Amino acid sequence: MEITESGVKGEVICSRVEGSVAIIYAQGYLNKISGEQTERECRNRLEDGYRALVLNFSDTQIVNSIGVSILLGVIDAVEETNSRLCFCNVNNHTAQLFDMLGLTRHVYLAPTEEAALAWSSKDQTAGVAAAAAATAN
Amino acid sequence: MPPETYSSNNTAQSVLGRIAPQDFIGREETLNALVSLSTRDETAHGILLLAAPSSGASELLRQAYDRLFHSFENGVAPVYFDWSAADGNSEMAARRFLYTFLLQTTAYLQRKPALVYAQPTLGELVEMIPVSDDQWVGALIEKYERARRESDEDALVRLCLSAPIEAAAKGRRTVVLFDNAHLIEELPGKLALSRELLQILSRSETGFVLSGLRRRLRDAISYEEAHIVNLSTLLLVNLNESEARSLTVRLSAQLSVELNDAARELLVHQFSGNPLFITSVMQAAQRSSRMLTSFLSCQKTYVDELMGGRIKHYYDSQLARVAPSHAMRRTLVRLLYESAMGAEGKASIDSWQKRLDLSPDALQNLIRALHGLEIVSHVGESIKVSDELVWRDYLRAQYRIGVAGEARARVVVEALLDALKRAPQTLDRHYRRKSALALRPLLDRFDWQRVPASLLHYGKFTQAYRGRQAGEIASGLAGETELVRLPQIVYTASAASYYPSPDFICEEEQCVVAHGFDGDFYTDSSEVVWLAVEMDGQKEAGRGAVEWWHERLVNLARRSGFGRVRLWLIATGGFTPDAMKFLSEKDIYASNRHQIELLTSHLEGEAASVVLTETASDEFEIVIPMGGDSELIAANAAEMIARRINFQPEAINQIKTALIEACINAEEHSFSPDRKIYQRFRLESDKLVITVSSRGVRLPASLPKDVRGSQDREDNASNNGLRGRRGWGLKLIRSLMDEVEFERVDEGTRLRMTKFLRPPE
Repeated sequence: MEITESGVKGEVICSRVEGSVAIIYAQGYLNKISGEQTERECRNRLEDGYRALVLNFSDTQIVNSIGVSILLGVIDAVEETNSRLCFCNVNNHTAQLFDMLGLTRHVYLAPTEEAALAWSSKDQTAGVAAAAAATAN
Repeated sequence: MPPETYSSNNTAQSVLGRIAPQDFIGREETLNALVSLSTRDETAHGILLLAAPSSGASELLRQAYDRLFHSFENGVAPVYFDWSAADGNSEMAARRFLYTFLLQTTAYLQRKPALVYAQPTLGELVEMIPVSDDQWVGALIEKYERARRESDEDALVRLCLSAPIEAAAKGRRTVVLFDNAHLIEELPGKLALSRELLQILSRSETGFVLSGLRRRLRDAISYEEAHIVNLSTLLLVNLNESEARSLTVRLSAQLSVELNDAARELLVHQFSGNPLFITSVMQAAQRSSRMLTSFLSCQKTYVDELMGGRIKHYYDSQLARVAPSHAMRRTLVRLLYESAMGAEGKASIDSWQKRLDLSPDALQNLIRALHGLEIVSHVGESIKVSDELVWRDYLRAQYRIGVAGEARARVVVEALLDALKRAPQTLDRHYRRKSALALRPLLDRFDWQRVPASLLHYGKFTQAYRGRQAGEIASGLAGETELVRLPQIVYTASAASYYPSPDFICEEEQCVVAHGFDGDFYTDSSEVVWLAVEMDGQKEAGRGAVEWWHERLVNLARRSGFGRVRLWLIATGGFTPDAMKFLSEKDIYASNRHQIELLTSHLEGEAASVVLTETASDEFEIVIPMGGDSELIAANAAEMIARRINFQPEAINQIKTALIEACINAEEHSFSPDRKIYQRFRLESDKLVITVSSRGVRLPASLPKDVRGSQDREDNASNNGLRGRRGWGLKLIRSLMDEVEFERVDEGTRLRMTKFLRPPE
């Protein structure tokens, strides 16, 4: 397992890989700056060749609309590379927010990292659309 | 009789001043310069005070007089003399000067301020002179009587004007403050009075001030004359912004006129700090018992003043001076109005000659007088009517009522409607200027420094630093090897001053022309002109907007005959990929606000603060600076406040998110002069009401469509479902809170949102 860190002390974006899945840990208040850090880490992992990403929100209490708009950029990048994306450990309030803004139509919200990993490695050929369908069901 | 002073307390001691000393706002430096004339021993002792019309020069002189009068210990007597055309000729003016000189010197020596308003005969006055000074006064009076008996006008004028020398010769020093000195040239007489006066003053050690309308005084006193006397020159113009604000607040307290922030700012900026106009409106508000708490009440009071109050009276009297007869004045108003309506507000002297039945000399005198009053500017063969806002309002109203014969009621209401429509624009312009990046000072600091290239290339910057923290960016910039050498800038100016096109007038402070050299030597080949523009909008600038500015800047360079140019576009939120492609093709430097701040901090830096105030047990106010995640501080405060009436955790999260979005919205959508967000939390038994406001105005809809391009596309995108990038803030707020209202206020928009307390399910 490889663990990397980016960012400066206090606001470190960590990520690790498990098999073919990259797990990125969003930190603190997801706003423009930390959103862009998260996005950067996701793009780096995609450039490294990973085709399944899990974004773990266990350390994120608040997300603002700019942060959400940046997550859309991540979804775009994932779609452009025919990869898969799953969010996990999203608190109830943030999940409501994602739902309100329609993110959940495009990304699967797993309750835990294990569930996310299981979902991500279940069907590597299916795209985000399938995930959305699964979420809808 | 002594002046009626208005003062906030009764401790002021005014002799000639019409405003109590503690209520006289601003001008401290100039006032000190005038007063210090009494302590000088050197021969350079004269000040030429060049005053703009209605800038308050007379009151300044009277305040200086009062300060000097109360400085008994140095024994230097102040004398204030107001030149007046009513004297009729130079001899009468000189005789009045002698009388005033003796009267005011006696008042000073006797420590009797009231004496300056008494009117004793010359004989009675001589009897009042203290023994210490009776010798020189007696000798002076004797010479005066002799000259009068001999009917020697020249000798009499010289003698009267020499009174300060006679006094000084016997040890009585004086400081003479000549007001309205530009009128000297209007007094007929055999002597060239201004030259005579200067020559006399140059021979004495008397400190003196020659104050008058700046354009007229420059004409009246030649460079050579000023040089002979070794005059130092001071300029007096309108109050600066902070002084004008202090004056307005001080008057509001003195006159008990309620005034809110928006009205205060409107008065300050609409009148460009003119003390007469500000005072007139405040006094009119007091007379009519009107509170100045809205644009409407402000502009109503202003229009009342314009149509029949002190402002009208001021301009009426100015015009009456140059055109005493009613018929002549009517013709002049027509001519001025029609000239103002012409191209660039100009007309030729020929066209005036044809319209006015005046001899060439009389016409020349008329134009000279109008030029002196700054109602017109006379350059070469053309006459340009001043575009000063209040003057133009007055002229339009006078023309429509007095010349075109329109119904007064209609003119009044239209003046009011225009003034109201203009009010938000006036503040908008001011706030834009305040929130602008101060490009000119930044460019002025360019001095061949080498800076990281990424600061001038938006694409490089985002590629390297997007998502990076401040510390990382700083170390990244420090380690950059690709550097750009800035030119040495030697002169900067607004683009509008080169090319007065509407494209640049609306962006006056934001489009800058900077001349400099980018080579090691001052040669033709190293000469370069930087054309820098701060583009409108808070978000990414699109290709359309970039092309629009490129075309205009290239056009400006061509029309102005600039040789080598460097274009630099600055957009607060950066540039879209399409725009970046164009910028790269055209080799245009491009930066966002963050890059500019980093570039500036290469030279300087700053910090912010948070203020939390508890106003009442159920009401709280928070002021946070924009940026730096300070909305989280507000959100945490909201959480603590919401807990006081037991909101459920889910509701608290909703309140916090709504508040964060409201703060982001306030930051993104207004030009805020103080970069602060004001929040008020009111707890009631069943609800929490939060009001979020920021000073400043909303982004205007009046920008050229293609300049708004990128912003419009952003706004549209937000309506197109998930693939939009921004614009969800308000949607979220409406979803998360129970009631959301926009309150229209003069300075912009205030967002009020309410969350009701519900029992847990």
